[in-house]
Order: sequence, then structure tokens, then C-alpha cells
Amino acid sequence: METSRRNASASAGAGTSAIRVALLNVLLAFVGIMFLIPFLWIFSTSLRLPKNSFSLPPSILPTTFDFNNYAEVFRQIPFFLFFLNSLKIAVAATLGNIIFSSMAAYAFARIRFPGRNVLFLILLSGLMISNQVTSIPQFIMFAKIHMIDNSWTLAILWLVNPLGIFLIRQFMKSIPDSYEEAAFMDGANRWWIFRRIIVPMSVPAISVSSVMWFIANWNDFFRPLLFINSWNKMTLPLGMTVLTGTFGTGNISAVLAGVTLSLVPGLLIYIFGQKYLLEGLTIGGVKQ
Amino acid sequence: MRKRQREALEGYAFVLPAYLLFIVIILGPLIGTVLLSFAKFSLLSPAKWVGFANFAHFFTDARMGVIYGNTLRFVLILVPLHLVVGLLLALWVSNLKSNRGKYLYRTIFFFPVLVTTASVAIAWSYMFDTSFGLINWALGLFHISRVPWLNSPFWVYVAVAMFSLWKFVGNSFIYYLIGLQAIPHDLYEAAMLDGASPRQRLFRITIPMLSPTIFFVMVNLIIGATQIFDEPYFITAGGPGDASRTVGLYIYETAFQFHNLSYGSTISLSLFLVILCITLLQFSLQKRWVFYGNE
Repeated sequence: METSRRNASASAGAGTSAIRVALLNVLLAFVGIMFLIPFLWIFSTSLRLPKNSFSLPPSILPTTFDFNNYAEVFRQIPFFLFFLNSLKIAVAATLGNIIFSSMAAYAFARIRFPGRNVLFLILLSGLMISNQVTSIPQFIMFAKIHMIDNSWTLAILWLVNPLGIFLIRQFMKSIPDSYEEAAFMDGANRWWIFRRIIVPMSVPAISVSSVMWFIANWNDFFRPLLFINSWNKMTLPLGMTVLTGTFGTGNISAVLAGVTLSLVPGLLIYIFGQKYLLEGLTIGGVKQ
Repeated sequence: MRKRQREALEGYAFVLPAYLLFIVIILGPLIGTVLLSFAKFSLLSPAKWVGFANFAHFFTDARMGVIYGNTLRFVLILVPLHLVVGLLLALWVSNLKSNRGKYLYRTIFFFPVLVTTASVAIAWSYMFDTSFGLINWALGLFHISRVPWLNSPFWVYVAVAMFSLWKFVGNSFIYYLIGLQAIPHDLYEAAMLDGASPRQRLFRITIPMLSPTIFFVMVNLIIGATQIFDEPYFITAGGPGDASRTVGLYIYETAFQFHNLSYGSTISLSLFLVILCITLLQFSLQKRWVFYGNE
């Protein structure tokens, strides 16, 4: 009796809720399309003849296919060089992050030493110290040792990742002690255990923090703007502003061709990195 | 005893590389910023102590109030917007039945996060063009007259909010999505048996269970929005006039365009203190609303 009444009320609500779900899905599709339109417009306009780049109506889907704008990008800026400069910095910083952050995270998670909690808290407070707050002394420091306009300076500035240490530590804390104890019994030393047991078991956390770090590094504009002056050391984001400066509003299609090219690495990161990103983030590192 | 000493030494050795870098790259420069605030300094001449002169300048700088006001406005607009829109999108996508649909929307909403801010911001500044931009053209289809996106002190905030949401909402979205996955299903099943309405399930289960994620996202959003730089730099150039000039942009201009490194440091220090206070406040308030299940 009780259950049948409940079923009846559920089915009465089913009709209206089906309409609601359908409406919500339409709305969601609409929002999704709005998110895609800028990309479509960028791509379509990059294929227009320069004299038409701003002519109305704008195109969402390509109407002309003039690939000269892409050739023009390569004529105006050394696109691949900028790409390689960015890649070099991002890869070096990400590798450094993998090594230094997992080492520190391991100690903060599983080794007992005096002052551990205080040191960890100080490190975490680094999250509040933004690039803008530290950039002036950093600039002076690197100017004194003649390392302004040097790609490695940017890589060095990206070597510490407090949030990464935090995320990896949270993960390492959840590994059972028995693994380590067994290895100690067999006479393994600390470094061996770190390399052969802890790091392999922490791959999800290490990869997610690395992917996030790589993305942040790849997209950084503020620091290259301060630290890089010469043409052949520019990163891709910095090179994009040069491209805009060169063409101004004269050839928007060419600028957008450059923009389109700069989107490719992001796409590749997503294709290759998303597995790590989404699986890694589920580990609850975010949940305190 | 010897074993414990050995363990402590190993601990320090493992922490050392990261900590040394942390001191050189972050902590040291922070102290440098404090010292520079009390000095007159340029790269060419030695530093000279000037006491509180920079602070006196700071408090009498007529633009400072406007610029902090702008930054506050950005924080008040962007933080709630990202917090709520990211959550709505995540709830929406996580309730989809088909896995393919989930994958598709996840990709669409997250992809802008991955692309170079500089590139897409340049593209958006073209889209905001009053006469020839895509956005005003689209509004024109609905007979809405042209909006002066980047030439009006009001619309410039709407423009930045639109760009910021498109570019960065994927960040909060993805954190929420992951947080939602971690909520045990049996909680919902129990609530359904008790006849809880969808609204009750949202406010009594989902949001409390998600509160640690919401807190994490909020702290990050506030820290990020307080130092907002890329958006005004690329899209508005701080204009019209000073209407959208932020503290981040002003530090850059003062220190690196007008080469006033010490006054730039004073402004940086003020920004740090503001972020510090807000973050401490958030952490002290979190006990009232953030729910950590097993503690």
C-alpha cells in the first residue's frame, strides 16, 4: 500500500520532470555552444582574406580558406623558436617539480623530524605570496647575477610548487606503513624506498600536480614579460603580443592565425594529460 | 636513539632542495619587498633608506584608492560568479546520464583553461570591438544596440567578467566535478527513501559534502582575483582612463615601466598584506560552514 502510493506520486512527477530534464539539456547545449563559438570564430577568421577580416557579418564557420595568413605568421615571428623556448622552460620546471616536490612531500608525509609541521606550514603560506609580490626583488637578484633575459631564470623561478608538495603529501600519507617496513627489513635504504616504492605508488598525485604546473607555466605571461627582452628568447605568450604589435589592426586574420596555432599545444596537453588530470584529482587531495 | 637521529637527518635531506629553492625564490624576495619599501632604490644607484616616505606616498597617491577600488570590484564580481557558475555547470554535467555527454561537456568547459591566456585574450579584445566585433554583431541580430564594451567604465567590467568566465570557469568546474564524484551514493539513496526533494538533497547533502571543495576553490579564486593582471593588461589596458586599472597592473607599470622599484615594492607589500588578511579571515570563518566528514 505504502509503496504503491509512492510509486504513483513518482510517476505523476515523471512527466513534468522529463520536460524539465529536456529543457535543462537544451540550455546546457546552448551554453556549450557559446563556449565553442569564440574558437570557431578565431579559426574561421584566420582563414579570411586580410582585407575582409573585420567585415560583417563575421563568420562562425569558415567561408573562405586563405592559408596565407598562416604563412604570414611564420614570416613575421619565429613561431617554432618561441614554441621551443616555452617548451624548454615548462619541461625543465615540471621535471624539477616532480623531483623536488615529491622528495619534500615524502619527508613531510612519512619521515619524522623536529620542526616538520612548522616547516610545512611556512611552505604552505607560500601559496599566498603572489608573483607580483616577489617579482621586484627577484628581478633585482637576477639582474645582479646577470641572468635577466635568460630562459633558465624563468625555469628556476618555477621550481618550487607549494601546492604540488601539499597534494603529493596528502596522497603519500595514505600509503600503508607496511610497504616501507618490509623494505627496511630487507635492508633497503631511504632513497631506494623513495625511488622504488613511494614514487611509483604516488604516480596519480605526482602526475596531476605536474600537469597543472605545466599548464600554469605554459600560460604564464607576467614573468616572461619582466624577465625576457630579446627576440630569440621569447616564449609563445610573449611572442603573441609581438605578433599583435606587428599587425596592429591591419591584419587581424594573421593575428588570429597565430592564435589558432598557439591553441594546438593546449589541445595536445588535454589529449595526453586528461587521464592523469581527472584520475589524479579524484584522490581527494583537494579535500584537506 | 641513533635510529631517530638518522631518520631526522634523512628528513632534512629530503626537504632541503625544495626548501632552499623556496627560501631563495619566494621567502627571500618577500623579505626583499619589505626592505625595498623602506628604501629608495634603482638598479643603477645604491639603496638609500628613506623610512616611511614610500608609505606616505602610498597613502597620498590619489590613484591608489581608485585602483584598490577597481581590484575590490573585480574580486566582488569574479569570485561569486566563478563559484556559482562553476558549481552549476558541474552539477549539470555530473547529472547527465550518458558518459559520452559528460566527456564532451567536460572537454568544452575545461579546454579554455588550457589555452594560452595571451592568445585568447587578444582574440576576445577583437570580439569586443564596438563597430566590427562579433559580440555586438550577434546582439544586433536581436536588435540590441551596440555596447561600448571597452570604452565605458561600466561595460568594461562586464567584458572582463565574460572573458574571465569563459577562460577560467573550467578550473572551478573541474574541482567541483571531482568533489561531486567523491560523495557516497548511499547518502542520496537514503535521502530518496526518506522522500527528500531535489532541492533538499542539494542543500542538505551535496553542498555540505562539497563544502571543503567549495572552500578550496574560494580561497584560490580570491587569491587569484586580488592579483588580477592578464585580463586588464590584454583586454582593457586598465582603461578607459583608470577605470579598470588593478593593483597588479599598477605594480607592473610603477616598477617596470616607470622604473620605480621601491614604490612598486610598497604597493606589492600592501597587496600581500591584503591577501594575507583575507586568507586568514577565510580560514578562521571556515569552521562555521565547512564540513570535514570524519574530523
